[in-house]
Amino acid sequence: MEEILKVTDLYLKKGNKEIIKNFNITVERGSISVVLGVNGAGKSSLAYVLMGLSGYKPDNGKIFFKGIDITDKTVTERAKLGMTLAWQTPASFEGLTVRDYIQIGMKNKSIALVKEALEKVALDPILYLNRTVDKSLSGGERKRIELAAVYAMHPELVILDEPDSGIDILSLEKIKKLIVDFKETGSTVLLITHRDEVAEIADTAFLMCSGEIIKQGSPAEISNFFKDECNHCDHKGAPEKIIQENVK
Amino acid sequence: MATKIIDEYAEMMKAYEQSGGNVGEFSNPNVPSIVISGNKVLGKNEVKGLIIEPTPTKDGVDVKITVKKGTKILYPMALCFGVLPKEGVQVINMEAYIEDEAGMNAVSHCVFPNAEHIVHKMNYKVHLGNHSFFRYKEIHFHGDKGGVEVVPYTEGEVGENSYFESTFTLKEGRVGKLDIKYDVDVKKGGKLELYSKVWAKGNDEVNIEEKGNLKGEEAKALIKSRVVLQDNSHSKVLSVVNAYAPYSRGHVDCMEVVQDDSVAEAVPVVGVSNSLAKVTHEAAIGSLDSKEIETLEARGLTEEEAIKAVVSGLLK
Ligand SMILES: Nc1ncnc2c1ncn2[C@@H]1O[C@H](COP(=O)(O)OP(=O)(O)OP(=O)(O)O)[C@@H](O)[C@H]1O
Ligand SMILES: [Mg+2]
Repeated sequence: MEEILKVTDLYLKKGNKEIIKNFNITVERGSISVVLGVNGAGKSSLAYVLMGLSGYKPDNGKIFFKGIDITDKTVTERAKLGMTLAWQTPASFEGLTVRDYIQIGMKNKSIALVKEALEKVALDPILYLNRTVDKSLSGGERKRIELAAVYAMHPELVILDEPDSGIDILSLEKIKKLIVDFKETGSTVLLITHRDEVAEIADTAFLMCSGEIIKQGSPAEISNFFKDECNHCDHKGAPEKIIQENVK
Repeated sequence: MATKIIDEYAEMMKAYEQSGGNVGEFSNPNVPSIVISGNKVLGKNEVKGLIIEPTPTKDGVDVKITVKKGTKILYPMALCFGVLPKEGVQVINMEAYIEDEAGMNAVSHCVFPNAEHIVHKMNYKVHLGNHSFFRYKEIHFHGDKGGVEVVPYTEGEVGENSYFESTFTLKEGRVGKLDIKYDVDVKKGGKLELYSKVWAKGNDEVNIEEKGNLKGEEAKALIKSRVVLQDNSHSKVLSVVNAYAPYSRGHVDCMEVVQDDSVAEAVPVVGVSNSLAKVTHEAAIGSLDSKEIETLEARGLTEEEAIKAVVSGLLK
């Protein structure tokens, strides 16, 4: 199997706090890999470092995408190589229609594909195509449009930062189905979440705690561990204890 | 002489098209229109219920437009003003009377494609009767040399339950110097909406002063300005809503985006002299939102393309 993403020995400091440390993962092409972690574990920071956002240049380590060292590449260069990110809290755009917004990332600007993408996230194209991607959208609507936009791009690798947050239970099933559709249409998914019930659709799971991957395994195994240990963890910021327990 | 006029008309039409206008409007008998180059009226088309009375003056044209009582004009009126030579002065004094229960939409393109030193003054007096509406859009195209000084002043009164909307747009090419002023009174149940959208470049200077006076019960006003600045351009936006009457409502929404060495100032002034009135305001000056730019970059746009997309949205 081809490694589409490989991260080695990654460190990111903000102020004097290490937000990501000793971070190593490999993602296989065509898989869904989930990174599970509690609030503040560093999941979004990881997404930003991978996408190359300003202020998120790693202090150490390397990121390889399709075997290419992208550590020093710009956001645009990374996107042009075939990766993208769906933000946990997406930005608003005054005056940009849903249709324009989705088409921006598409190679062929087919309106049929725009509609299909909206339907995938349970939004009626008739009602939404000409809406503006501004503050008039609810948080949940904006999230779904973000997912539709990255879906329509057909990226080789998509990083989904909490695609389930702000989405109601009914639509959650649709979102899970969409994530599987990403995989089925040839995209590799790096799924970031703090909800273990979403992890089940993944092929591999990583547990992130205080900026580190402390455990890797099957989604069921990691979810169970997360439910038992992390949800009521009282040693935030000190994963050493968990690691030691794991070793035992 | 005749061929000269025809050439001038053709050149005005070319500039009109460049600024986004559809020249077909001037040959459609159903579309009311007027074309003024310098102080010459090159064309005019009236429709039923609409009277257009132009009088050439030394530096421009005085125009009186009347929409007769009870008439709703179906197609938006097309206006084309401009100066073709590199230098010149054009003064347009326009009075619009929209009588009771009448209404019209109008789109005006002001074109100065070759401008090196041009002064363009527009003095509007807008009178809306009761239960009437007037939607006016003015789109400017000044070429790329920045040699235009544009001074549009609008005074107006919006009658009972009437609606006046005015949009000023200047986003292609350079601005030069722009000095916009509005001072509009709104009577009972009337509604005023003013929109200004300007993209300033080079050493452009933008000054906007918009004033809405809510004089009747339940009168409403929205003043929204978007100014995007780059290079070493300057802008100053003063938005004033005064609410004098019970249940009158006003809102000021001003956003200026500064880039490079540009400088912006925003002064929202809200005055309420009736305890049952309410006026709110939001004013923001700042650089472009980096999250918006990076979101579009993550879709594959370059930084320049992303900035263009965000700015076009703001000025739409
Ligand atoms: N610019 C910054 N300066 C200081 N600390 C920061 C900065 N950005 C993030 N952090 C801290 O880094 C940690 C990780 O933040 P991050 O947003 O990556 O967490 P997360 O796992 O995505 O959390 P959530 O589940 O709430 O989205 C948090 O403790 C946060 O407060
Ligand atoms: Mg997060």
